[in-house]
Amino acid sequence: MVPGGPPVRDPVNDPPEPVLYMGFLRNVVAAGLMLAATLVCAAADEAELRQLVAKFADANNFQATEAVVRELGATGSPAVEGLLTALSQGSLYVRKADDAIFVGDEVGPDIKLRDPLNGEAVGTVAKAGLTKIKVNNTLRRVIRDALGGLTLGSNDPAVRLAAADTMFKNPDPATIAALDAAIAGEAVDSVKARLEQARASAVLLSDLGEADKMAAIDILSSRADQDSLSQLSRFQASAEGPLRASAAAAVATIDQSLALWQVGQNVWYGISLGSVLLLAAIGLAITFGVMGVINMAHGEMVMLGAYTTFVVQQVIRDTAPGLFDWSLAIALPMAFLVSGAVGLAIERGVIRFLYGRPLETLLATWGVSLILQQAVRTIFGPTNQEVGTPTWMSGSFQLGQLAITWNRLCIVVFCLAVFALLLHVMKRTPWGLQMRAVTQNRRMAASMGIRTPRVDALTFALGSGIAGIAGVALSQIDNVSPNFGQGYIIDSFMVVVFGGVGNLWGTFVGAMSLGILNKFLEPYTGAVLGKIMVLVLIILFIQKRPRGLFALKGRAVEA
Amino acid sequence: MRGHLATWANTVVAGAFAAGISITMPAAADDTIKVGVLHSLSGTMAISETTLKDTMLFLIEEQNKKGGLLGKKLEAVVVDPASDWPLFAEKARQLIEQDKVAAVFGCWTSSSRKSVLPVFEELNGLLFYPVQYEGEESQRNVFYTGAAPNQQAIPAVDYLMSEDGGSVKRWVLAGTDYVYPQTTNKILKAYLESKGVAGEDIMVNYTPFGHSDWQTIVSDIKKFGSAGKKTAVVSTINGDANVPFYKELGNQGVKAEDIPVVAFSVGEEELAGLDTTPLVGHLAAWNYFQSVDAPANAEFIDAWKAYTKNDKRVTNDPMEAHVIGFNMWVKAVEKAATTDPDAVIDAIVGVSVPNLTGGFSTMMPNHHITKPVLIGEIQADGQFETVWETPGLVVGDEWSDYLPDSKSLIADWRAPMSCGNFNVATGKCGGKAGTTN
Amino acid sequence: MISQRFFAAGADRRIAITISILIGVAVIVPTLNIAVAPDSAFHVPSYLVALVGKYLCYALLALALDLVWGFCGILSLGHGAFFALGGYAMGMYLMRQIGDRGVYANPLLPDFMVFLNWKELPWFWHGFDHFWFAALMVMAVPGLLAFVFGWFAFRSRVTGVYLSIITQAMTYALLLAFFRNDMGFGGNNGLTDFKDILGFNVQANTTRSALFAASAATLALGVFVTWRIIGSRYGKLLMAVRDAESRTRFLGWRAENVKLFAFTVSAVMAGIAGALYVPQVGIINPGEFDPANSIEVVVWAAVGGRGTIVGPIIGAVLVNAGKSWFTGALPEFWLFALGGLFIAVTLFLPSGIVGMWDSWQAKRSGRKAAADAADATAVPEMAIAPAAIVRGGRPAAGAAPEPQPAE
Repeated sequence: MVPGGPPVRDPVNDPPEPVLYMGFLRNVVAAGLMLAATLVCAAADEAELRQLVAKFADANNFQATEAVVRELGATGSPAVEGLLTALSQGSLYVRKADDAIFVGDEVGPDIKLRDPLNGEAVGTVAKAGLTKIKVNNTLRRVIRDALGGLTLGSNDPAVRLAAADTMFKNPDPATIAALDAAIAGEAVDSVKARLEQARASAVLLSDLGEADKMAAIDILSSRADQDSLSQLSRFQASAEGPLRASAAAAVATIDQSLALWQVGQNVWYGISLGSVLLLAAIGLAITFGVMGVINMAHGEMVMLGAYTTFVVQQVIRDTAPGLFDWSLAIALPMAFLVSGAVGLAIERGVIRFLYGRPLETLLATWGVSLILQQAVRTIFGPTNQEVGTPTWMSGSFQLGQLAITWNRLCIVVFCLAVFALLLHVMKRTPWGLQMRAVTQNRRMAASMGIRTPRVDALTFALGSGIAGIAGVALSQIDNVSPNFGQGYIIDSFMVVVFGGVGNLWGTFVGAMSLGILNKFLEPYTGAVLGKIMVLVLIILFIQKRPRGLFALKGRAVEA
Repeated sequence: MRGHLATWANTVVAGAFAAGISITMPAAADDTIKVGVLHSLSGTMAISETTLKDTMLFLIEEQNKKGGLLGKKLEAVVVDPASDWPLFAEKARQLIEQDKVAAVFGCWTSSSRKSVLPVFEELNGLLFYPVQYEGEESQRNVFYTGAAPNQQAIPAVDYLMSEDGGSVKRWVLAGTDYVYPQTTNKILKAYLESKGVAGEDIMVNYTPFGHSDWQTIVSDIKKFGSAGKKTAVVSTINGDANVPFYKELGNQGVKAEDIPVVAFSVGEEELAGLDTTPLVGHLAAWNYFQSVDAPANAEFIDAWKAYTKNDKRVTNDPMEAHVIGFNMWVKAVEKAATTDPDAVIDAIVGVSVPNLTGGFSTMMPNHHITKPVLIGEIQADGQFETVWETPGLVVGDEWSDYLPDSKSLIADWRAPMSCGNFNVATGKCGGKAGTTN
Repeated sequence: MISQRFFAAGADRRIAITISILIGVAVIVPTLNIAVAPDSAFHVPSYLVALVGKYLCYALLALALDLVWGFCGILSLGHGAFFALGGYAMGMYLMRQIGDRGVYANPLLPDFMVFLNWKELPWFWHGFDHFWFAALMVMAVPGLLAFVFGWFAFRSRVTGVYLSIITQAMTYALLLAFFRNDMGFGGNNGLTDFKDILGFNVQANTTRSALFAASAATLALGVFVTWRIIGSRYGKLLMAVRDAESRTRFLGWRAENVKLFAFTVSAVMAGIAGALYVPQVGIINPGEFDPANSIEVVVWAAVGGRGTIVGPIIGAVLVNAGKSWFTGALPEFWLFALGGLFIAVTLFLPSGIVGMWDSWQAKRSGRKAAADAADATAVPEMAIAPAAIVRGGRPAAGAAPEPQPAE
């Protein structure tokens, strides 16, 4: 009930009376017809299903729809699989004209209709002529469970695996017989193991004997994950005698192994956060570390990279949707060029007049960052832009008890690749040699014939370009908005300063250790205090080592 | 109970309408009535507030097409407080004192509202505030057209506890660490405990502003949700941090069927920056969705798209709040036949205007409005589909019944009480000293 | 030598003019606001009083920053933190003054504590019901933070960019901390809804005028104090540290103590500026700790001319007046204008408006006294203008500016 408000009446539970009455009447009629049909012609399987499906037209609330779904699921007929899937995706429609049920695919303003059972195309109708059958979460779950039972016999092992998982998570003693049959007929080992686990979880709830339950505990404890832990601990609470003891032992073992995995999980999260920090900071390590430019516009270079990704995806969506999975690969060089070009322009236009006055580059680049932000806001608008994730980067996979998401893994790998490439450029190419020469002794380098202004400009462009490709990667995990860069700039500076200015390895170690430190603090202190503590630790650390983790060695008094 | 039903509202509408036509309008064609628009156009809040500025310009243009107000044209005065809270106060002062605007529509964050409150109180201006907020406030010069906690949070929790919502037994209250989430979560916690939810079944988690690394928290939520009881997340996470949060949810495979997330700050505008396919089924509680099937809404969306010349521009709840607030102000001015703040404050209570969901919203004596509460599920096209709604209208409750110290407070700005924090237990108006003008 | 005395007198004159203008403003503006009829052409609207009062607080903050940046070479990107801490101390006093007039009529607890269910006043809120205590804290809290921070940082010889970044880390950490409701400072909404100060209603015109006068007078005092510091023997040492820290150290001075003193004094000044600012704008919240705000302060000082006393004041007033104008008249262009200003000033006016004026004056007088003008110290305020100085400590790099790796 809503306090201070009127009594809340639930429109779904309490539909207007006449409709309910009508619906009820019709249901009675339909049920009667169906009964008659069954009696008259027991073989008319499809006709029977169609009768059931037709009930959707009268199901005007979620409960009624749910009842129909259950009935359909209970038929065990594989023909309803596609229909139920369509319902859970919200693409099952009632034609207003004759209350017929269809699966529909949206095509612009119209909807292409298919027969719900055999999938034959029926024609196209305007949206206004159809009513969509609404689903909610509860209904989706019911459908999923119903499908779980139906798809146990599927030909595709992956579908069977998913079915086994669903049944594992929703244990029901009534399914033991079906599972036994499925286990007997299963040829694929991994699926078989899952089916056995599903059976074990059902056995714990059933009234089978102690021996069966003991075996079930063994199977579940070998699974050793969070789900089996919660099932076992629930069982432990209700069990007695030796069963209770063995369940308790299993719970303890699982707890222990999960605690270990937890550490691994934190390390992984730390590495993944570290690589985000590294990606954001690595361009800065060049512009700030090598050139001494306090580049406050660095975050905006990252933002430009992210916006380039958005534009590339937009173009691909309009012209060649098939290339979408490649959009990030296409965006990478584009982002490098865009951010690099802007960086070059900034260096030539502003920064080259300020060399030797590092603190003033801070002011000028801060000005540049404001202009870039507002420019992006004017061109693209202030709201978030949608950057899609290619299918191969979505989802996650399990490594033992570690859930590793593909996009994080891709970012870690990508970040290491960028780092390796950059090291290669700095250490193994003539350009890198020139850069280092200019950094170490500018006048000597100039005397040797190196065109120092050109090296400066290219170095700055390189740093900016790297920031741009970082933007491509970061667009996958964060908002693409004009404020995008602001979120990273302070963290990036902390990483570079912590690691030691002018040293790429310092930046690497700095980013990774800050990432891992953050993730180990977070569970104990919460995210907010964790972040504050990391900042305080950096301040304290700088007192101890005023030149960062890996300071450049030199003999000058004020180097 | 201070419950009011739509029927009550209807009589008020009729009355207000009658009052409206009996007014003879003075003709002063060359004169204009100024309307202040106080929304950040730069800085961190521009992302949300710029749309509201456009909405106001649109509404003013529409009103001028209809012949303006009291025979005068309306003129928008747009300023940019640049997401800087003290600048909000400065700009508010400029609008009222220098530009002499008749009313101000603006602010988004509570901080910005708090920062301008003393100015409106001192200079006796009018502020229409269109965003859902934590409540615990009622001020003579401010009209709260967004949702109070009981118009968003509590119905959402009610829904999730119901059979339709999945009979949720275990709750994660996740929010950004600032006043709105803290207060809302306090109210929710008290409410849940009053419904018999054990303390161990509630997990509270706070994150900093703009938090972007959600790995640990999402995996904690997963773990919390695997205890065998149906679990849901109530999210008061602030706008900017939502996108990475939902991306992480999608990637870690947290499905709405298993652990639904109901959010109070995620609307159509926020979803526009997301691929919503993995998020289908997650929930939001608002008083308006773009997808609402009502003639008034369809008309508004068409006009809005025509005005912005952008077919993809979405509409959202705070926009509707401005539409309601603006129409209420127009009606109250017509009723009072003047833009004088005192007259408008007296006239506006009880004014009722159509909202975009097919009903009427009424300005209550506590300066909050009546609204329907809708629960929507995210769809693959970035819109919401309403799965549940309150049949009647809910009155905004400024002083929560679930906080011990505000339980006995009420607000009624009509004479003779004219008080924003009347204590029914002691029979005294608590902060009267502060509301002089 | 003679020229130096002459120009020193010039600088004195400039300081004297500034102080007298400020005191004049402190008297005249409130008078024109209160005593002159609103329809008179000489009436100063309250709107303007509040606005200029705010600028004056910003000017004091910019002056404080200039003391460490312009005269001592420490670029602090965290001065906003000292400003905000001073503001919070004042805000806490004002909150306690509300007493039982808060919305919940709780005589002891501020409103935000009541609705977050706090039962008693946290220990650090005690004492703030006395003005003297709050006034002491306004200076003590920022001063102490600066002292401790500086004690460690200067001793460890954290300099240049590193120092700038850790000051930024400091203000960022404080921003995050003050956002937390559990800190007991009102979370992101901060402290607001003030009723009165020293028994006077903060919203009354007379109170506002008095606060304005107090801001102007305090700024005048700040100018005077800074000028005395700069003119003293210690001031010379300060500039010596800025120009060549190691050389100063080798000569036997404790450079860290020199810096520490300046840093602490500057933080106290920033705190006072914050305390004057809060009752005039009516709110203090963690937004003031935003690192971007501190960077903006640096820009005010740079625009006006760092290493001068008058410069930061001119810069703060001009930039903020520009901000007020742009955000009202051309809201979409405000960031373009501000960004452009940053770039233009650093490129074309490295020593700010005052520096440019001085060099123009110097050129003119240079025609008359070519010999003196050739001396780099010819213009007193230029003598300490830092363009040449940041490069100090290194061998002259020749005419063309060149990049150097960060230190």
